[in-house]
Amino acid sequence: MRVTARRNWQKFTLPAKAFHLLGLFLLRRTFGQQIALFCRAIASIFSRNRSLKTDSRNIIMQTFFTGVEVFPVLFVVATLFGAITIIEAMSMMGRMGFSDFVGSMIVIVTIRDLGPILTAFLIAGRSGSSLTTYIGSMVINYEVDALATMGVNPIRFLVMPSLIGGCIAMLIMNIFFSASAICAGFLVTKSAIYLAGITGVSADMTNIQLTWSYLSTEILNAIDLSDFIFIIVKPLVFGAIITTNACYQALNIQRDVRQVPKAVSRSVIKSFLYVVVADMVISTFYFVDYMKNLKQLI
Amino acid sequence: MFDEALRMEDIHLAYRDLVGAMFSKPRMLGYFRGVEMDPQKELISNVNLSVKRGETICIGGPSGQGKSALLRIIAGLTRPTRGNIYYFGEFIPPEKLTALEVAKRQVGMVFQNGALISNLRVRDNIGLPLRYHKMGSPAEIDEKINMAMDLMRVRDEADMFPHMLSVGMQKRVAIARSWAMDPKLLLMDEPTAGLDNYNRRNLLPLIDNMRTLFKTTIIIVTHDLMISKELDCNICFLHRKTLTDPKPFEYWLNTDSEISRELFRDLRNSG
Repeated sequence: MRVTARRNWQKFTLPAKAFHLLGLFLLRRTFGQQIALFCRAIASIFSRNRSLKTDSRNIIMQTFFTGVEVFPVLFVVATLFGAITIIEAMSMMGRMGFSDFVGSMIVIVTIRDLGPILTAFLIAGRSGSSLTTYIGSMVINYEVDALATMGVNPIRFLVMPSLIGGCIAMLIMNIFFSASAICAGFLVTKSAIYLAGITGVSADMTNIQLTWSYLSTEILNAIDLSDFIFIIVKPLVFGAIITTNACYQALNIQRDVRQVPKAVSRSVIKSFLYVVVADMVISTFYFVDYMKNLKQLI
Repeated sequence: MFDEALRMEDIHLAYRDLVGAMFSKPRMLGYFRGVEMDPQKELISNVNLSVKRGETICIGGPSGQGKSALLRIIAGLTRPTRGNIYYFGEFIPPEKLTALEVAKRQVGMVFQNGALISNLRVRDNIGLPLRYHKMGSPAEIDEKINMAMDLMRVRDEADMFPHMLSVGMQKRVAIARSWAMDPKLLLMDEPTAGLDNYNRRNLLPLIDNMRTLFKTTIIIVTHDLMISKELDCNICFLHRKTLTDPKPFEYWLNTDSEISRELFRDLRNSG
């Protein structure tokens, strides 16, 4: 049978052969296989075995699994990170004479770029790794094989809920991150200024005019529509990358317990890499936007 | 042809293909790979087997001969390097031969370690495939689960997690889970391995019940040769990479072949 298939392949016309070879080239690479896994997971949503009740329960459980347990750490990181950004922006920008750009600085750093990336890192480190361990140990214990022999598609049963749940959790966590970075970060900055004032580290600190109305007005002036679009697009892309990568690395384990920790570290490190690359690609939008504006000015 | 449950023609399996289906990779990748023709690198070569409907057959042989690999080929988890497999007279071409496709033909498999889903209770483990395939209303599914648990006598453990059960019970739950799917062909990998004599004596009548009541075709891979005597079925051996013809237990006991000398010596001496 295999022989006939090869003969068919030799009968292809030249463009078909080139297309075939290109497809094989892509699918032999890890990247191509991950994209194929993502597409199969998305396609499996519409499979014959769909049932709204079970699927939504799985997805909600996965969202909680991804999001809730990472929340305390994420809140602390976001608050301190927001405080650092506000302090740096206030002190640096004022010294350089760009006091009007404090709001844009905060928006660019927290909302636009580092917020989604830090959230993605935290979720990859905590939920991506646990997802890889969970599915990887199922592979080792033949549970995935057992699912397949029962006719339960492992991609539908394991990958699809974690993919969608991961994306939803990532979106919610990113909004939480931005909100707590600005709001709680403001409170922490304010209390830091107050503490510095009463302990006498620097008596001039109390002269810094940091009020909520000033900060919020600056931020609201700086934010525009593209930020609102990207605050939705970026977490969805990052969440899809992290969960697909984690599931791929787990399903790729070859019946060897020692492969599980290796797969976990690969999952986390590669998620970091892919997230930064995807962020770079998405950020070129701003560059194009800037160039367009520049042309109009000239 | 029509009373045939399974026919394997000229099955070859190279060591390289032993890893089996990886759900991370598209299945066509293995299909377009070059074919390994070196007999030295083959674990199984030239296996032919034909099983009738309702028949029970044992596959025996010393460990390390690829018995479990053969069963994984039948279940579709491993793609054979060469060869054709017919399920109930229907040929599945190699590019479509996956476990999911085979499972659609109502082929069930019981793994050596049970392979229960460890975060689900026994009840949900049995109900998982039924609910996934929407085989009936919730009440019907509950009834089916209870029937399966009664058949395998695990009703008292319905709300336990697999790690709370003994190995024998896990195996019985796994058999119940396969039975609940109404398989026409059931593959069992070492159903009695790791069981004490008492549990083993309990398990065999259960298999026998299933065979007589539901006309299930059963293929048992085992190194426990007495099973074939107790179930009164034919046994064939995976010997020197190929499968011998199925013959009754007494034939192997009395004949003077290499297999009989190696495997039946103790049984003969003990009478």
